[in-house]
Amino acid sequence: MVPSAPPEAPPRREQPTDGRLRGSSLYIAALFVVSGLAWVGLSGLAIDRYVTDPALQSRLRTFEDVVYVAISGVILYVLISRSEERLRRFGDELHATLDSLGDGVLVVGADGRILDVNRAVTELTGIQRRQEHLVAIQEWTQRVNLRQRDGSPVAPEQFATLRALRGERPGAYEAMIRRTDGSDLPVSITAATIYDRAGRPRLAVAVVRDTSEALRLSQTREELLATAAHELKTPLSVIKAHAQLLLRRAEPEPGLQVIVRQVDRLTRLVQQILDASRLRLDNVELRWERLDLAETAAVVVTDLGPRPGGHPVTFEGRGGAWVRADRDRITRVITALVDNALRFSPADSPVEVRVGVRGRETIFSVLDHGVGIPPERQDRVFERFYRAHSGVPDDRGGLGVGLDTCREIVARHGGRMWFQSEPGTGSTFLFALPLAGEEARA
Amino acid sequence: MSGPAFGVLVVEDDVDLASLMALVLGDAGYRVRTAPEGGAALQRVAEEMPGLILLDMRMPGMNGWEFARQFRARHGRAAPIVVVTAAENARARAAEVDAEGWLAKPFEIEEVLRIVSEHAAAGQPSAPAEP
Repeated sequence: MVPSAPPEAPPRREQPTDGRLRGSSLYIAALFVVSGLAWVGLSGLAIDRYVTDPALQSRLRTFEDVVYVAISGVILYVLISRSEERLRRFGDELHATLDSLGDGVLVVGADGRILDVNRAVTELTGIQRRQEHLVAIQEWTQRVNLRQRDGSPVAPEQFATLRALRGERPGAYEAMIRRTDGSDLPVSITAATIYDRAGRPRLAVAVVRDTSEALRLSQTREELLATAAHELKTPLSVIKAHAQLLLRRAEPEPGLQVIVRQVDRLTRLVQQILDASRLRLDNVELRWERLDLAETAAVVVTDLGPRPGGHPVTFEGRGGAWVRADRDRITRVITALVDNALRFSPADSPVEVRVGVRGRETIFSVLDHGVGIPPERQDRVFERFYRAHSGVPDDRGGLGVGLDTCREIVARHGGRMWFQSEPGTGSTFLFALPLAGEEARA
Repeated sequence: MSGPAFGVLVVEDDVDLASLMALVLGDAGYRVRTAPEGGAALQRVAEEMPGLILLDMRMPGMNGWEFARQFRARHGRAAPIVVVTAAENARARAAEVDAEGWLAKPFEIEEVLRIVSEHAAAGQPSAPAEP
């Protein structure tokens, strides 16, 4: 028998020394074929020419074949062991790399069985023996008690690995696992697909990241914010209540009303900082409900209370501007916009609040006849902590967190916010929210 | 109006705020006692059950959550609890300790008086409101 092909080259993608190995394999194979052909041709010729006894000829030919097979075997052995050695070394390097990762990595085959895990997986789960991880992914998730953050089970069709094996690109999802010592570990899980040459999903690689530190930090931040709110609001409560108490007397000092108003303003600022930070944390749950934006805006205008200088505020809007929104937060946006309009316009000039429906959107606007925003500062109005009027005669104070937060709240409602402004004439701030469809009624 | 003998326990660590509430509620004719933290409040409650507890949540010593838990365990719903909090979502705080009401800081004096008078009216159905 004459072997005709070199040993199968290792899979291309997984071989960093690909070109070199492939080249040398071809070279050896070519050498092998040429020398084989030369051996067969030359030895045949030699036998024909120098041996006349047919019986000896036949024996020599058998010997010739045996020598050929033996040499082929030696060459094949050398080739295969070289490839194996390289593959093994590459595999070791890959393993060492995976083991040095802080994130857990699971390699899952097309049949849903785990083929390999790195060291981080054993450390995250507490299941020390790698062999114990090499089971079907469903069984593994049961062993580590994989569940959602709220404790509910993760349905198999949600598994990142199984989705990846279906060719989807699952985004990271947050989950919990239970370690062998009984403690719970928050993790985020994502997976990617490795395809074969025909484009079929061959493997899924899942990455399991320990998010306990990130979670702890965000909780610490939450804690800090709550403490700050408490620390600031309690003295504000005392000041305000004392001022109100004094106001109840027969002839109250006029300045007391100012104290109450400024305390209210400080309270709003504290609230704004909290809101801004909380939205940054991206962990604010919006409490969705179906509400009429016209009615919500009307309530804000009605509740404005006594205003310095008695700004006339008009409201125009018909009911039926139904949107899906968080009532508290949208109310805060409207309050902040109206408050800005009042602060940046002369005391006797009217402020006009409107709510209307245009196409599939409902649009809120508040127009003032105030100082307007200088054109060169208009680009930065929505920047966090940017104050368009700082350092100009019309600086009315504020922290610059209002508009930035407003826009973020509106964006999280699927809406947008913009403005038109002309210095000396006034500004109009607007936001649009998508109208709630019939399905939102359900 | 509420009966003058209606007792209110103010659990609040801020001395100024506690004395202010005592002043306001005392002026309105309520019998007010204060406690700077949960442990002291449990003692006051054991001495005499108030008609209403105004409860701050964050306090040194025993906090509002722990006080509410122990109070419910020992006395059930012997007195309604109104949570007084600076938290962003006062309603959620109240729900956490299964309180009967909530008051967000900073509050209006009128609001404190309204809440207390509501509970006083509800808590003393047998006593004539207006003698």
